[in-house]
Amino acid sequence: MPDSPSPSVDWLGERRKAALDAYEAEPVPTWRRSGFWTTSLRNLDLDALETRRYAPVGSADELPAAVRDALDDEPGALIVQRGASTILLEVDPELTAQGVIVMPLEQAVAEHGELVREWYMRRLSEGDGKFPAATAAFWTGGVFIHVPRDVRVERPIQSVYAIDEAGTAQYAHTLAIVGENAECAIREYCLGGDFDGQALHAGAFELYARPGARAKLAHFQDWGRGEVHDISTKRVEIARDAFVSWVPVHLGGRLTKQTLDIVTAEQGSDMRHTGLYFTERDEHLDLFTTDLHEAGHTTGDTVWKGALTGESRASYEGLIEIVAGAQETHTYLQTHQMLLSQRAKGDAIPSLIVKTDNVSASHGGTVGELDEDQIFYMMTRGISRIEAVRTLVEGYFEEVVQRLDDPGLETLIRRRIGEKLLAAEDQVKEFVGHRAGAAQEA
Amino acid sequence: MSLEIQNLHVRIEEREILRGLNLSVSKGETHALMGPNGSGKSTLANTIMGNPAYEVTDGKIVFNGEDLTEADPDERARAGLFMAFQYPATIPGVSVANFLRMAVNAKREEPIKVKEFGKLLGENMELLRIDRQFTSRYLNEGFSGGEKKRAEILQLAMLKPEIAVLDETDSGLDIDALRIVSDGVNALSGPDMGSLIITHYTRILEYVKPDFVHIMLDGRIVREGGPELADELEEKGYDFIREEVAAADAG
Repeated sequence: MPDSPSPSVDWLGERRKAALDAYEAEPVPTWRRSGFWTTSLRNLDLDALETRRYAPVGSADELPAAVRDALDDEPGALIVQRGASTILLEVDPELTAQGVIVMPLEQAVAEHGELVREWYMRRLSEGDGKFPAATAAFWTGGVFIHVPRDVRVERPIQSVYAIDEAGTAQYAHTLAIVGENAECAIREYCLGGDFDGQALHAGAFELYARPGARAKLAHFQDWGRGEVHDISTKRVEIARDAFVSWVPVHLGGRLTKQTLDIVTAEQGSDMRHTGLYFTERDEHLDLFTTDLHEAGHTTGDTVWKGALTGESRASYEGLIEIVAGAQETHTYLQTHQMLLSQRAKGDAIPSLIVKTDNVSASHGGTVGELDEDQIFYMMTRGISRIEAVRTLVEGYFEEVVQRLDDPGLETLIRRRIGEKLLAAEDQVKEFVGHRAGAAQEA
Repeated sequence: MSLEIQNLHVRIEEREILRGLNLSVSKGETHALMGPNGSGKSTLANTIMGNPAYEVTDGKIVFNGEDLTEADPDERARAGLFMAFQYPATIPGVSVANFLRMAVNAKREEPIKVKEFGKLLGENMELLRIDRQFTSRYLNEGFSGGEKKRAEILQLAMLKPEIAVLDETDSGLDIDALRIVSDGVNALSGPDMGSLIITHYTRILEYVKPDFVHIMLDGRIVREGGPELADELEEKGYDFIREEVAAADAG
């Protein structure tokens, strides 16, 4: 484990010190649920990892291909962290003129200390466990986004955390504040290369949507084939009459353990939460999301869809929690999971805690396979079995993809899902063919 | 150019549904296959298209001289067979237009040009009196019974098969929808297409005139004739035919 960076500002130094104490007191956790689902880090050699510093690059053209390909062509702002270092920061002067701040969190602590201090880790805690504590103690670089009140930013603000070498430990912290009645779109990417060996991304993300704000937030994770272990906590707080559409997308990572919480904190706040994942090979994905309604007259709409190939494991647990007194809350959560391989295993569990009356809350979950009737139907139109399967899986995701309301990201996700299906073609064919054979024997 | 079904025996889950069925449908002919519930009509349609849930234990399906008994459904479709489903599957996330383009392209070497496809689609939608916005909906998702059947006939029109099997296309349709679907089938019928209209009722035969009528009972065709056979069936009912066949068997 790395040394804690020297505190540049006292209040932050104290937070880091508290986090370091928490980190040292906690053992490396193993997450167990329901007795049969376990996420363990026993195969991760933490001591072999180190934080790495990199030199800045001159422009987006010099970024690694895996990063360049995923980005929108004309972002309003772009900030890229490779390993422990911010290597690129580009902000449209127009945004700066509007008072928008996009910069490394480290720099923001120095330049906008009071503003950062007011919001920093308001919804996150070093007491949340070993890795949240590690992130709070060791983060470097980081991302700070502040859109002032009444400001409307048209083009997306993009931040990137990239890991492209084995042995890297990356501690990431993003703090975003969308001011009163402000509007913006934020995309955060976690991208990796196809290296051999292990790496760690321990991440923290917090976004505060102030009263009346409207924010579109996307998290796009595709760590590639490197063995990236991603242990992150992301929280979104929505204030009075504000709206956040949050889209977490998980398209690759050796092991991912994430806690994703979205909080409608004040009356009239509204959220739309749309998640998507696709696991392959020996990937392990463990997601726990909470839609927390802390005030009455709030609304929520959550849909998560996933697909599994290879020997991958994916568990999605989605909780709706409505606290005492949060009456007139209307919310629902749906989760679907599709198995595309005999050896993949998955779990999709919606749950509900309601501590008040006069609310409407519903949830539903399915784990399924492709429907042989649909495949037969398509084949009678001359479409081959594998094309039918590909189309059905793409169609399955399409309902979620269309909720994103972001054409650039939609295209990227469609392309990546198409590539993953192509890569898994043989096993999917074998799986579906096997079932067709079994149906005939039955 | 014809579909020949020879001594077909088919099982589902250990139960024999088709028990030596013979039928021949040529291009340019309209056949009606009638039978009560459970006589094996839908099994025949599914087996013609190669549904893997149905097991052929004996007999052959020959199309244009080629034995397709073991062929995959997509191969049969590309050879020129088509089936309009009684209960078509829902294809979420795939619009009617995209689905049609995919199906049209599956039969072609080179993908159809956008303009050509648009023109073809427009003409056929007009023929079936289908609203423009229909094509951007996901195929069969939230469709009414009538919309599903029209979507089936739209596919028939776009794919122009040599032989079309219409599995109870008339069921669940009100009289207006039935007329539209029948008009569509009539417009598409001709020297280039043969059809096998599978139905429980004689109602659709008032709109689509068959050249041949076959009556099916317990997995076999028991009576065959011209259009007058449908009239006789309408008058006497399936029970009468059943008794007649039993008497003939006993005799």
